[in-house]
Amino acid sequence: MNQLLEIKDFSVTYVNKSKKVYAVKNVNLKINKGDSLGIVGESGSGKSTLAMALLRLLPEKNTQITGKANFIGKDLVQLNQKELKNIRWNELAVVFQKSMNALSPVHRIGPQIEDIYRVHKPNASKEEIFSRITYLLRLVNLSERVYTLYPHELSGGMLQRVSIAISLVHNPKLLIMDEATTALDVVTQGQILDEIVKMEQTLDVTRIMITHDISVVAASCNKIAVMYAGEFMEIGYVKDVLKNPKHPYTRGLLSSFPSLKGEKLKLTGISGYLPNLSVKQEGCIFAPRCQQATEKCKQEKPLGVEMNENTVWCHLYSSGGELINEDQKPVYKD
Amino acid sequence: MKTKSPFIKIDKISMWYPQKSKNLFMSIREERKWIKAVDQVSIELERGEILGVIGESGCGKSTLGKVLARLENPTNGDVYIDSVSTKELMKKDTKKFRRMVQIVFQNPFDTFTPRDTIEQILLRPLKIHGIGKTNAERREICIKALESGGLRPADEIMKRYSHELSGGQLQRISILRSMLFEPKFIIADEPVSMLDVSVRSEIINMLLTLSKEKNATVIFISHDIALTRYVSDKIAVMYLGKVVEYGDSDTIINNPKHPYTQALISNCSSIDPDEQREIIKIQGEPPTPVNPGPGCYFASRCFKASKECFQKYPAATEVSEGHIVACDRWY
Repeated sequence: MNQLLEIKDFSVTYVNKSKKVYAVKNVNLKINKGDSLGIVGESGSGKSTLAMALLRLLPEKNTQITGKANFIGKDLVQLNQKELKNIRWNELAVVFQKSMNALSPVHRIGPQIEDIYRVHKPNASKEEIFSRITYLLRLVNLSERVYTLYPHELSGGMLQRVSIAISLVHNPKLLIMDEATTALDVVTQGQILDEIVKMEQTLDVTRIMITHDISVVAASCNKIAVMYAGEFMEIGYVKDVLKNPKHPYTRGLLSSFPSLKGEKLKLTGISGYLPNLSVKQEGCIFAPRCQQATEKCKQEKPLGVEMNENTVWCHLYSSGGELINEDQKPVYKD
Repeated sequence: MKTKSPFIKIDKISMWYPQKSKNLFMSIREERKWIKAVDQVSIELERGEILGVIGESGCGKSTLGKVLARLENPTNGDVYIDSVSTKELMKKDTKKFRRMVQIVFQNPFDTFTPRDTIEQILLRPLKIHGIGKTNAERREICIKALESGGLRPADEIMKRYSHELSGGQLQRISILRSMLFEPKFIIADEPVSMLDVSVRSEIINMLLTLSKEKNATVIFISHDIALTRYVSDKIAVMYLGKVVEYGDSDTIINNPKHPYTQALISNCSSIDPDEQREIIKIQGEPPTPVNPGPGCYFASRCFKASKECFQKYPAATEVSEGHIVACDRWY
């Protein structure tokens, strides 16, 4: 298979004088070319930390990143600043929730994008840049007129579209969207998601979508990873995981979303709160909030169980599915 | 003719803000411009009913909430609770009005003053309204309320400051505090949008149980359509300060008639990955609410608009019983 990104034993720890906070713990993940992966979880579950660590945007002074992140032959963890500079925008791009705030208020949209374009292609001609930018603006459903406008003349949705267009200037292989549509209105969000999905088919980008809204993932991704307290709970295809959730946490998360058109079922949340991440916990991290937790869950960390191409980290299935080896190599059935 | 007047009658309420002109000279010469945040909204509600208000940001949902709680004085119109004009009541007996109408805000971290403990925060309104004779008695009331909301040990929580509690806990306290006076009318302005998904349902269920217990009428303002449908009996869809569609929540979601509602619901993604959605695209963003019209405010983005739509604001028509649509081309 055409693998784009492989994260192995990836951990992120925030360190300060008095304590260490284990924000992401020994995560393993594989992303193939053309995938669109949605990472969901509560706030504080480490979704953004994972993305920021992959992009190497965290301050190096007080964060420790261990493990491997193999991105098309390069280990993102080991790269130095100069090598990172070459990768950013060219192969790896990001859109944040408030990316639009990064736009300069005193420059027109077009020249701003030109500057970004020139960072990697200093000798590009004006015509080349113009045609590329207007092509991208059209792709995100904006008119060419935007090129000569100032950011304050555009609405929030349009600015976010501009940020998405900027992230695509150099045709990156991997696009990370960290809550990129959260601040937008329902109508704008729906339309942008629709555009992103269409755009992906034409541009051949792989996407990681970080959000707390499962419906966004359902509408725009093919794979989903459920994250809790710095660990993955369940990874699999959207249609399997949302239709037939295996992990108790996924089930709890899904039952706290009301359905739009279906029956009005009683909403049930997950009682309790996120654990203190500065303390290393024995056993399954979700066990204190899990209603199906047994003694085993409190003592032993569950290993990933492979079930029909989906992986679940839960003791409930350790006998049912096939166990993955210690070094987390997936075992495929014939 | 109706024999019984409704419990809560919102009568053509409007909130217009004057637009400041940048140029003094122009401001004298030109006619004054108004931002019509809420424009002639009329809704009738029964006791214990829950009304959901949905719409894009900037459509006036929150302003409507503020006006109903009289945190802002409406430019026009009035609200009648049990046939009593709140305008009159506000002049005569402000405290009584405040006891009748309570509001829960969006951000629980901003709701409470950071300088006081939860105990001080909860006791103060009781003292102001003269509920309970002694401080001990009032404390007792608060502890009971906190425990009924699942905040245990209540004693411990009362001693804390707001920054020592989580958003979910704070929002629960905020709802419980508003319930202390047994209000008849509660306005919940996006009460869960700042909270985590796993905590949300508990807060919503608490709001529902309490309002049912006290038989209070609730206005639930939200931009989350699926959640609003879960919570409310009736839904009002707002666009640029006007209610464009109003009816039973299931009717609105499953059988929307106004083109704007149709677009809004078609764009709302569901957690069911199999659901076929056909997105109705609408052009652009809402226009500015400065002197809109004369035609239908939505006409410039509407996929059904005809010439007439740009000339006259459509009258509200009753499509089926209790389902009101402000569109001439709803069929």
